[in-house]
Amino acid sequence: MTTRLDNQVRLELYREFVRTAEPPSTETIAGLLDASPGDVRAAMERLAEGKAIVLQPESREILMANPLCGVPTPFRVRIQDRTYFGSCVWDALGIIAMLKNDAAVDSSCACCGEAMAIRVSGGQPSQTQGIIHFAIPAKQWWQNIVFT
Amino acid sequence: MLLFRGEEHIDRWCAQWNQPRGGILTIPQAWKLADAWYGNKMEPDWRRSTLDETEALLSSLGLTGPFWNLRP
Repeated sequence: MTTRLDNQVRLELYREFVRTAEPPSTETIAGLLDASPGDVRAAMERLAEGKAIVLQPESREILMANPLCGVPTPFRVRIQDRTYFGSCVWDALGIIAMLKNDAAVDSSCACCGEAMAIRVSGGQPSQTQGIIHFAIPAKQWWQNIVFT
Repeated sequence: MLLFRGEEHIDRWCAQWNQPRGGILTIPQAWKLADAWYGNKMEPDWRRSTLDETEALLSSLGLTGPFWNLRP
């Protein structure tokens, strides 16, 4: 069951992640909300259970606050002076959609490695070269979201 | 979800990694999907979409058929 704190934690972790381009730690979120780290950790577990975020398997810190990824990936997003990473090309586009700004995804062809970029301006992709392949059928996406 | 230069690159990748060919989106389709999926993720009233809502979204983008089916 989602609590008021869960929503506060979700909003604060996204704001901080966007502001710093780094995933905030549990301690940081607790400090920003003036809440106890234990309560914030429990809220993050509930958010992960509800598939709002993905936690690292051991540290239980943020791995993904989808579409933002907490570790570097081949899907880099440049927005103004910030660099973010998406877990996949869909999430990279999702970062641009979420932040509602002109931006570019820097990536490469998964087959041959040739550099590719997708630019989005005015809320539309201005380059449409390339295609996206989903290897995992839709109903299996969350069976292993890191692999997906 | 990976980015490719074209269909022949997807075929080559599938053969190399022994993967069946899955679902394919154009960049405009992927943008619409990303916008609908994540556009409100930072809003206070965000909630995870229901199965029915997700099905309707995929269908509106022409993503139908067994690969895009969400039901067990």
